Amino acid sequence: MNSKTSIFRGITLIALVLIVLMPFILPSVTLATEILIFALAALACNLLLGYTGLLSFGQGIFFGGGAYSASLVMIHFNFGLISALLISILVGAALAFIVGSLSIRRTGIYFVMLTLAFTQMAYFLAYTFSDWTGGDNGLLDVPRPALNILGITVSDLKSSESFYAFVAIVFFVVFVFARRVIHSPFGTTLVAIRENENRSSAVGFSTNHFKLVAFVISGSITGLAGALYAMLLNFAPLSNIDLVMSENILIMTIIGGTSSLLGSLLGAGAIVLLGDVLSSIWPRWMMILGVALIAVVLFLPGGLWGGVTSLFNKLISNKKNKEESSTEVSK
Amino acid sequence: MSEYLLETSGLGLDYGAFSAVGEVNLKIQKGTIHTVIGPNGAGKTSLFHCLTGERKPSRGKIHFNNENITYLGAHKRVSKGMARSFQVTSLFQELSVLENLRIAAQGRDGLKSLKFWVSENKNHHNLEKAHEVLNKIQLNDVSDRLAGELSHGQQRVLEVGMALCGSPALLLLDEPTSGMGVDDIPIMTGLISELGKEHTVMLIEHNMRLVMSISDRITVMHQGNILVEGSPDEIKGDEMVKKAYLGESGHE
Amino acid sequence: MNLYLFQALNGIGLGMIYFLISVGLTIIFGLLNFVNFAHGAFYLLGAYLSYTAVVVTGNYWVALIIAPIMIALIAWVCERTLIKRVYHLPHTYQILVTLGVALIIQELCVSIWGPIGKHISPPDSLKGVFQLGDFFYPQYRLFVIGFAAVVAILVWLLLDKTKFGALVRAGSEDAETVSLLGTHTHRLFSITFALGVGLAGLAGVLAAPIRGIHPFVGPEILGIAFVVVVIGGMGSFTGALVGGLLVGLVQSLMTTIWPQGASLMIYGAMAFVILLRPYGLFGRA
Repeated sequence: MNSKTSIFRGITLIALVLIVLMPFILPSVTLATEILIFALAALACNLLLGYTGLLSFGQGIFFGGGAYSASLVMIHFNFGLISALLISILVGAALAFIVGSLSIRRTGIYFVMLTLAFTQMAYFLAYTFSDWTGGDNGLLDVPRPALNILGITVSDLKSSESFYAFVAIVFFVVFVFARRVIHSPFGTTLVAIRENENRSSAVGFSTNHFKLVAFVISGSITGLAGALYAMLLNFAPLSNIDLVMSENILIMTIIGGTSSLLGSLLGAGAIVLLGDVLSSIWPRWMMILGVALIAVVLFLPGGLWGGVTSLFNKLISNKKNKEESSTEVSK
Repeated sequence: MSEYLLETSGLGLDYGAFSAVGEVNLKIQKGTIHTVIGPNGAGKTSLFHCLTGERKPSRGKIHFNNENITYLGAHKRVSKGMARSFQVTSLFQELSVLENLRIAAQGRDGLKSLKFWVSENKNHHNLEKAHEVLNKIQLNDVSDRLAGELSHGQQRVLEVGMALCGSPALLLLDEPTSGMGVDDIPIMTGLISELGKEHTVMLIEHNMRLVMSISDRITVMHQGNILVEGSPDEIKGDEMVKKAYLGESGHE
Repeated sequence: MNLYLFQALNGIGLGMIYFLISVGLTIIFGLLNFVNFAHGAFYLLGAYLSYTAVVVTGNYWVALIIAPIMIALIAWVCERTLIKRVYHLPHTYQILVTLGVALIIQELCVSIWGPIGKHISPPDSLKGVFQLGDFFYPQYRLFVIGFAAVVAILVWLLLDKTKFGALVRAGSEDAETVSLLGTHTHRLFSITFALGVGLAGLAGVLAAPIRGIHPFVGPEILGIAFVVVVIGGMGSFTGALVGGLLVGLVQSLMTTIWPQGASLMIYGAMAFVILLRPYGLFGRA
């Protein structure tokens, strides 16, 4: 086993270092929490876009669905933290199953259009059923229950530091899980489908089953992210399920880089941080995202993570070259 | 038990009013290399598509190993023991040669590959199969290169190798020499005749020298139907076959 | 009864505006096999440019002519510098690049014209109402229907009767044929893109006095344009017209009853069409 495919070494270690350092480097712990939550959503999107080649505008459905479902069971049925999060995972998975099983009947542009249509429908449904979702006002007073394990209260999660720690652990577990997924027979088949669906089918894969499972995994992680976001804000806004949310998750994924899971953390980090720092000085900072999106497609297909790694490799080879030339000189 | 591995009865395929394949009774004997030839538009490719499951036939039946597979989906035919190559090279361009073969071998596992909770490194049998095929098609030297970086001839060979990874009883090859340079063709000829020792091979091919040198049986198609069938020597001397081909070139 | 007639006329007007937006999208997809996610943003920019033209010249008619032409010019520049680089890429990349363009345009609009939104009034000559018996209808809205119909006929003539149109149609059937026709394909592509986007700009101008100008309306317009194009059939002129009118009528008749229901219906219809009849009502199989 090498560090590239081992789920605990390699980039998992880098991710671990980053999530430990983030609260100390960043302006606020809440900001760090938000980054990790969107990194979860971006990572789930990456499983579809980067590894399966499916451009889904449906991620907002799962995000919003997770947020609403967890909030509702906490508000109306007094669900605890873990059970509410489990509900959000299940709801995310179920929504992804519905959206996925219909959308994958088509490919290419028609697939994208289907996910778009479902996102719009979900939005207008959420808007219409305002008794449940709060409609335009959003769902208010979403609680953040204490973390109880086996009846023992581990933490009340009231402080932003303790909630960050909890989200960080969740993120790390999901990250390791996602690493396992992409380096499983399932994950390599997804890459095969991305590369050449026709051939994948010809060698014996029923590609639609694989796409559907990819959807369900992606949906459950996104649903979890949505629930955590509602707990962070104590609020589940309608914008969670908006088309713009789907777009933002996509943009984070792409700008971060679709070739690696770490790219998703990087992308979410860059955009959430940029938004936080710039929105007060220059409200139109989103323009940068537009430029970045074009730049990534045209010039930097690996996204930020691709840029970082190639820069790193260049530095190493430069250093080697220098060493070689200096040894030559000394000869 | 029939002695035929693959048998079609009255197989036909229509595109609207146009009948690409009329009523074809093709029988492929176990252990043979069976080639389907014919002038352009004879219906070879349409017939091939019915056999691979890419197209649903308009009439007739396909039996494989005495099992009716007429309407079985393309990917399910792999587990029954059929595998195909493509006329236009269809590889995982961005993956290494070895990875191409390993994934192709993994295709045999079907839905077992849905296991997202185990490490891919646990599937030794697929890697072994990939190495075995790599030896057979003699691409060991380039096993780490990306498939897209190979020469065209090597890509054609890998194309056949991908089909081999399914350990098929029947290999369906769609114009294996398509687009190959003259120098590379002997490699393909050697490879197919080598494969013919272990597999039943059905192929569509234009290169007559290759067809005549390796085929056990040849079926000639013309205008959607079988014109004649026989050994290479019988086909060489057949007047109807000459006419069919001459008729085509006469129009050109 | 009059209320229904009123709503139906509104629906036709809205439908004609939807047609103008969608026909460009559908022609661009048909000929260039290109998915333009910036289409809604160009609609927005067209509306804002007409606002400035009205403010500067004080004349709506000048705005009606100048703004769409400027949009077409901007689109042409955009095509020459950026869009042509992504024709050969998969649809996914086209979507991402034009999504970027849409974001830039939207944020530029907000930077220039502010986040609140703007309004322009119809020209003085069309401010009155049209009266037939006891039925009243704003003159400007009738004008929009008539004007858009004239534009629709012109576009149809252009596509059906001219050499340019023949090339566009041939290209939609089979892009390779057109590339065989020689070196002018890139010019054909640029003109088609500019024309298609210019029509979206024109729609923005026409709609501005009725619906106002809201800076974040781009994605909504884009969504509806895709509904129209999908229902009518990708690449089909007739499809865009019929689809546009259908969507316009449904939205208009539902506004008083259940406006979100209208959106649910049209997006539901879009999903149904893709699943059951992906080439739409008028597209080729």
